[in-house]
Amino acid sequence: MDNVDARAQVATPGDLVLVTGASGFIGAKVVEHLLERGWKKIRCFVRPSSKRGRLDEVIARFGGQAEVEIFVGDLLSPDDCARASRDVCIAYHLAAGFDKSFAGAFMNSAVATRNLMDALLADGHLRRFVNVSSFAVYSNLEMNRGALLDESAPLETSPQERHDAYGFGKLKQEQLVQRYGQQRGLPHVILRPGTVFGPGKKDLTGRIGIDTFGFFIHIGGSNLLPLSYVDNCADAIVLAGLVPGIDGEIFNVVDDQLLSSRAFLKAYKRRVGPLFSLRLPYAIAYALSWLWENYSRKSHGQLPPAFNRRRCTAEWKGNRYSNQKLHALLGWTPRVGIDEAMERFLSQFPERH
Amino acid sequence: MTRAAIVGCGKIADQHVQAIHRIPGSSVVAVCDREPLMAEQLAERMAIEGVFADVDEMLQSVRPDVVHITTPPQSHSELGRRCLEAGSHVYLEKPFTITAPEAHDLVSLAERSQLLLTAGHNYQFTLEMMQMRRLVADGFLGGHPVHLESHWSYDLGDVSYVAPLLGSRDHWVRRLPGQLFHNLISHGVARLAEFLDEDLVEIVARAHQSDALRAMGGQEVCDELRVLIRDRRGATASFCFSTQIKPGMNLFRVCGPKNSLLVDLSSGSLSRNVGKSYKSYLTYVVPPLLSARGQLGNAFRNMGSIMSRRLHQDFGMKELIEQFHAAIASGGEPPIPYREILLTARIMDEVFDQIRSETGA
Repeated sequence: MDNVDARAQVATPGDLVLVTGASGFIGAKVVEHLLERGWKKIRCFVRPSSKRGRLDEVIARFGGQAEVEIFVGDLLSPDDCARASRDVCIAYHLAAGFDKSFAGAFMNSAVATRNLMDALLADGHLRRFVNVSSFAVYSNLEMNRGALLDESAPLETSPQERHDAYGFGKLKQEQLVQRYGQQRGLPHVILRPGTVFGPGKKDLTGRIGIDTFGFFIHIGGSNLLPLSYVDNCADAIVLAGLVPGIDGEIFNVVDDQLLSSRAFLKAYKRRVGPLFSLRLPYAIAYALSWLWENYSRKSHGQLPPAFNRRRCTAEWKGNRYSNQKLHALLGWTPRVGIDEAMERFLSQFPERH
Repeated sequence: MTRAAIVGCGKIADQHVQAIHRIPGSSVVAVCDREPLMAEQLAERMAIEGVFADVDEMLQSVRPDVVHITTPPQSHSELGRRCLEAGSHVYLEKPFTITAPEAHDLVSLAERSQLLLTAGHNYQFTLEMMQMRRLVADGFLGGHPVHLESHWSYDLGDVSYVAPLLGSRDHWVRRLPGQLFHNLISHGVARLAEFLDEDLVEIVARAHQSDALRAMGGQEVCDELRVLIRDRRGATASFCFSTQIKPGMNLFRVCGPKNSLLVDLSSGSLSRNVGKSYKSYLTYVVPPLLSARGQLGNAFRNMGSIMSRRLHQDFGMKELIEQFHAAIASGGEPPIPYREILLTARIMDEVFDQIRSETGA
């Protein structure tokens, strides 16, 4: 955690940092890690409807050590963005656009990000914009099973076919950030976290399986999960705002040690208790996805293309993942190993008796 | 070929584009949103050529046959007027306009311009509602409706909709005269308006806030509404909007002097209640069996509609848009009579007036 020379940082701990999505699962951790690093002025952008329990707890724990401002606003409001951006040197943009609809996801991701970038550039103090994206922007449709997925992997070209509104929003958000970097000189870094897990998030990731049909279907088994423990992920995000000389870079955020979906589910069941699950081999899941996709197309959307080959490959095909760049350019190392991470994740569930 | 344009590229616009793309002979030629990024994203995903941020520019350069307006309702009246004046037919999403006088002005303009206008009351066009309408037209009720009941539920669990509007007094839903109700009750009221006389003699509306909404920080937003209506002919109607009734109800009952019908839009079923008496204990046996037979019929009919690919999840919208485009192409009557659109707007105005004077909101 002390792997950045304070003199060489993009900003000093007295400079103002903005964290959007600060009350979220990762956002509150980012605030916590900034406070741990001795950051003195943090502005936390939260939505009016946000639940602030996590963030309040963090602020209370570090109470008095720093000026932590809660800014309640809406990123879709240019006025709110302008006020929130005043004097900001580093912006950590974690606010995510969760919406079932493509338009809603796009609005809350891309339009909100555009408003924020405009405001930060107009203010003129910005030295680094850290855009937190997602693994959802990748497409491994044309990649072999087990191939290495790093930052150069192909991006999704048809989110509509993949029926993934969130991924579409994130993809468009990234494109906007890169365009602002090229055309308006926005100093930016993009991070793509994998599956972020930890205490405070109880749901099993969709990369293990689905419970759409009333019971849990475990798809695949040997596929590695691109896990990122929340503290490790927050560390990477914080470093991306501080390390000089990395403008325009993109980083995948995954831990050093990863588990297969089978190993993760086994550990989960051991702690949480019996969970009826049916295992579906990847090849069968792929064939069913193909059938579903075809029926959806032939019936002109009578059945929404919720299952399709693009989604199937992205979630369950199984790849190897690299965090080489994270180590090399950010000097990042995971502060929590996989065993400890799993222990902490599982500790939020009551022990079986 | 019917050339359509979409104004307002938010969530509901996708459904309009998909429904139009399914109609042989119709296509979407342009999209427009004052936020250019929103127009671009829709055009890119749906492969639509024309992208505009200014509605007048779009109307002038594309000259669409029909414009689907899917913006927040505050802009409906003005945008509808501009589109009609430019010579396009207009589909306005619900709620049709903010007030009944605005609705009246638009309908008058459409009639003067010999253009068609419709409202996004798509739940009037589900398979079971259309079947109900056929039975009523065939005289199943045995005369004019005596009483109507409409239930419309909304689940507050969908926080992606409720949370932003509760969080901001400036949210467009909060700025509507009827707030949450204004954006949600049109469907439930329209089905009453279809069968009520235009001359209403009594409307009583009462609203309150549920404990659940209060716990979510709803402040002055009401989410429970009950309305009683009586028309000049003596037909009565009740309307219940609730966020708290579980499971949520989306029902319409129309009672005649002889028989009655119950439409359950949640399960896509229609139940006939025939005014026939049975001797002795058969009263307790035969009607339930007939009811079971009716429900079995509903299940088989729905299965058939699914297998034949007729039943879509957004069937009502698909059907309404198809009928509207067919009317445009043939020069026929619009699928929803203007009388029904205007009466819906009048009932909503009166309901919101009463709620405001009661709650001071």
